[in-house]
Amino acid sequence: MRSRTFLLEIVMIAVAVAFLFPVYALVTLSLKSPDQISQTPLSLPNPPTTANFTEAWSAAALGPSLMNSTLITVASLIALIALGSFAAYFLARTATRLGYGLYILFLLGIVLPFQLGMIPLYELVSDLGLIGTHAGMIIFYTGVQMPFTIFLYTGFIRALPREYASAAQIDGASHLTAFTKVVFPLLRPITGTVLILNAVFIWNDFFTPLLYLGGSGFETIPVSVFAFVGQYVSDYGLVFAGLVLGALPIVVVFLVLQKYVIKGFSSGLKG
Amino acid sequence: MTDLRDARISRAQFFRMMGGLAVAAAATACSTNPQSGGTTATGASGAAAVDLKFVGVADQKAPMDALLAAYKQAKAGVSIAASYAPTDQVQTSLRTQLGAGNAPDLHVVYPGSGSAMSMTEIAKAGLLADLSAQAWTQTIPTGFKPAFQQDGKTFMYSAGSSVIGAIYNKKVFQEAGIDAPPTTWTEFLGVCEKLKKAGKVPIALGAQTPWVTQLINYALVPSTVYAKDPTFDDKQSAGQTSFAQSGWRDAMEMYLELQKRGYFNDKPNGTTFEQQTSMVATGKAAMAIQVSAVLPAFRDAATSPDDLSMFPLPGSDDAATVWIPAGVVVGLGASAKGKHAEEAKAFIDFLGKQENINTWAKAVAAIPLTQDASSTIDPAVESFLPFTKDRAVPFMDQRWPNAEVQPTHFAVVQELLSGKSTIDEALKKMDEAYAK
Amino acid sequence: MTLTTQPPVETPPAVRARRARRAASFSPSWWFAVPALLVYAGVVLYPSIVGVFYAFTDWSGIGEGKSFVGLANFRAILGDEQVMGSLGNTLLLTVAILVVQNGVGLLLALGVHAKLKSRTLLRVIFFSPVVVSPVMVAFLWKYVYTPDPSAGLNGLLGLDIDWLGDPSVALWSIAGMVVWQYAGYSMVIFLAGLEGVPKELHEAAMIDGAGTLQRFRYVTWPLLAPALTINLMLSTIGGLKLFDQVFAATNGGPGYATETLSTVLYKQAFVYGKFGYSTAIALVLALFVAAVSLVQIYYLRSREVAQ
Repeated sequence: MRSRTFLLEIVMIAVAVAFLFPVYALVTLSLKSPDQISQTPLSLPNPPTTANFTEAWSAAALGPSLMNSTLITVASLIALIALGSFAAYFLARTATRLGYGLYILFLLGIVLPFQLGMIPLYELVSDLGLIGTHAGMIIFYTGVQMPFTIFLYTGFIRALPREYASAAQIDGASHLTAFTKVVFPLLRPITGTVLILNAVFIWNDFFTPLLYLGGSGFETIPVSVFAFVGQYVSDYGLVFAGLVLGALPIVVVFLVLQKYVIKGFSSGLKG
Repeated sequence: MTDLRDARISRAQFFRMMGGLAVAAAATACSTNPQSGGTTATGASGAAAVDLKFVGVADQKAPMDALLAAYKQAKAGVSIAASYAPTDQVQTSLRTQLGAGNAPDLHVVYPGSGSAMSMTEIAKAGLLADLSAQAWTQTIPTGFKPAFQQDGKTFMYSAGSSVIGAIYNKKVFQEAGIDAPPTTWTEFLGVCEKLKKAGKVPIALGAQTPWVTQLINYALVPSTVYAKDPTFDDKQSAGQTSFAQSGWRDAMEMYLELQKRGYFNDKPNGTTFEQQTSMVATGKAAMAIQVSAVLPAFRDAATSPDDLSMFPLPGSDDAATVWIPAGVVVGLGASAKGKHAEEAKAFIDFLGKQENINTWAKAVAAIPLTQDASSTIDPAVESFLPFTKDRAVPFMDQRWPNAEVQPTHFAVVQELLSGKSTIDEALKKMDEAYAK
Repeated sequence: MTLTTQPPVETPPAVRARRARRAASFSPSWWFAVPALLVYAGVVLYPSIVGVFYAFTDWSGIGEGKSFVGLANFRAILGDEQVMGSLGNTLLLTVAILVVQNGVGLLLALGVHAKLKSRTLLRVIFFSPVVVSPVMVAFLWKYVYTPDPSAGLNGLLGLDIDWLGDPSVALWSIAGMVVWQYAGYSMVIFLAGLEGVPKELHEAAMIDGAGTLQRFRYVTWPLLAPALTINLMLSTIGGLKLFDQVFAATNGGPGYATETLSTVLYKQAFVYGKFGYSTAIALVLALFVAAVSLVQIYYLRSREVAQ
């Protein structure tokens, strides 16, 4: 039994090493000069150079993009959690036909491809003067991720006993107070899930920010990296340094919070 | 995430933050939207009264940078914010902006018809300002007019034309014992054979990058189609002839012959334009069939840029019937619906001055639209000049009726290179796309 | 995406009546849903409805000229080789991703569920690509798939394959890249399922003399049903809507070999200038995704209940 576990461990580590090959290529190439890349593409960089990183950092303007991505992601998450949990509380607790209809209406948003409303939405955002602004993107993500957020919250709240809120209300609290003071804190686990799943989606989203922010000076990280790669495709070392820098923030956050992130992605099963 | 449990204490702050956020967002919206607020006031006297926006493709950055700086000197009170992006990205965001009625004042326009961002397509939608009153439009050479004009009105500016031919590495040619560029198709095959024997890749082909796929056909078709029938475009448009019934078939056969003889690099469909560039620049390959506008990119990648030059690809065995493709380079237009259409047009008028045409043309190794004593022509394209008068035709797509033919051409060439299709099928697909 | 909820539970009428009475006094009022509804309606519902309208026109995407063409766009889809070809590609890609990603995910989950010293590290490694932008992953894999026999995957494995340039290979190469990125996602969902399997059941089965495979087949597998439902749903919807990876890696080529419904409708709108037709394709895609999801939910749920 002991030796079988040991064998399994060896096998799994071997699998992980193979799995990491693209990451190995990414990191080693970003530390190589063009000559090393063409002559010894697979070996370790010898000697390693950080020239690619300094050049990529200044050429891709990732500093401002990092700010844009952070601002858009954080603000959208706040709006999603506030509005989503609020709406889900009603949808989960109501027994009316209206409530059920509304719930279905929200769920519809999960299957609609974004291309369907792409141009009309652009017209709307443009009429509001929100093209090329953070606000435009924040409103967009709040709307687009609302169905999914409500879906998660509603499922969770339905499984929650009503008695907590009722007790508070018997004590004279309003619906609003009962929700914010009593119910919302109980939603902590699902709020974590909502936060993580939406954060990863918003942070990495590519097409809409390309459409709305391309050339505005307010680009998010994936858009900047895309433009950067388009400009320097032939120089793999430089491109990969840009990719490393672009991926680093979210990877670091993930590594620090890995337990919570993995839980966020896998939870809900028992919900 | 460790702070999740602290979320409780901040509920009130949280809602206050929401309110603050909305205000902040509104403020950002105002400050970043040039159309709102008080910036619209135009004054003849005013300093920095008008902000124009230009959206272009990456190839336009070099000439625009130089000319924007010059314009700043020439005209106070107008500032132009320019942004550049790869073609795919521009195509997407610009089409969306045009569709939503939110076009930038100045933006990239492709010559003629045949693409979703082409002059004809956008002008037909009424979204390009008429430039016909500007002096430079009177001197557009007759042969190029279809690229600039729709119904007799000029809607696009471009500084000149580029040619398609072989960009080659002179040193590699010399080392293989080749003294002069070939002037007939048979000679060209002979040159390739010599290069192959010398252990070089004769022709680098980066067919994974879609637009690169078309260039060999574009280089051959003037000789195989237009030299025989200069009115082919009109006849095709009238339905009297088709790709399948024309010299397009010969061009594709010649294209595939090059592949069959092993004159391309291995796996062209997995090779990109950038890899193609570096193969020629570093001397691993001897040449690439390319458009002269990418000469600067090839030179940038080369250790000794002077080794690179160009020659016309001879698509015929009679040197006298070799024709070349010479197309108008990607240009720009002014939005007809913009609030600053007049200022935008004034900038284009400035670009139309001979010295500025020269500047732009030089930056992209183009042949200037009109020339004076100070015009320079890149020495690499000099061998094309004898052709430009009466043995040159515009790039084929500039006369195609819709935006679907060109991408179809890309796709069928990739299919042919991978052996998944036949020339008959390829031409049929192109004819079908043409008829749409 | 993760699915959390159960379908609305059917409750006996008496209970329902009692709840309704209580709900009348203690249920939150409808205006709780209004702010969310407003944003959602503005960003998703209204534009989609207008989009549906465009699907019945011949609008080019720019300018004023558009006229109503009835069902012509939908009829054209049926005869459009490019769309039909991309539908085939989309289905192949979805099935490949569905099978391989979940197969690999399950094996990884079983592997790291065992009491290994490195289990936490292994989980983090296998999961990490999930958090990275698909566009960036595609750029990385474009290099991994370089045709150069001395570099990338070819160099590592001593192969000489034109991964993205050979039309008979390219689609599977894209599937491979998607599986690499998301196998860790399937893994963590299966893991959560595995952790829900009571140890006692395994012990009991072991006492009854069941071998490893038998225990997996009769104890673990049935209890993994909810995890499997979620995984299949996720990979199906993800596969059908796949866009970023294809756009960045091959843009549909070589030829039409990796064209998916999403890339085709993108090209129709932005490259060919046929916006009306493009939205018609988007509408078909939406109905398709909805139909497949419903069938899957229905079928897999009934299977769960049966077990």
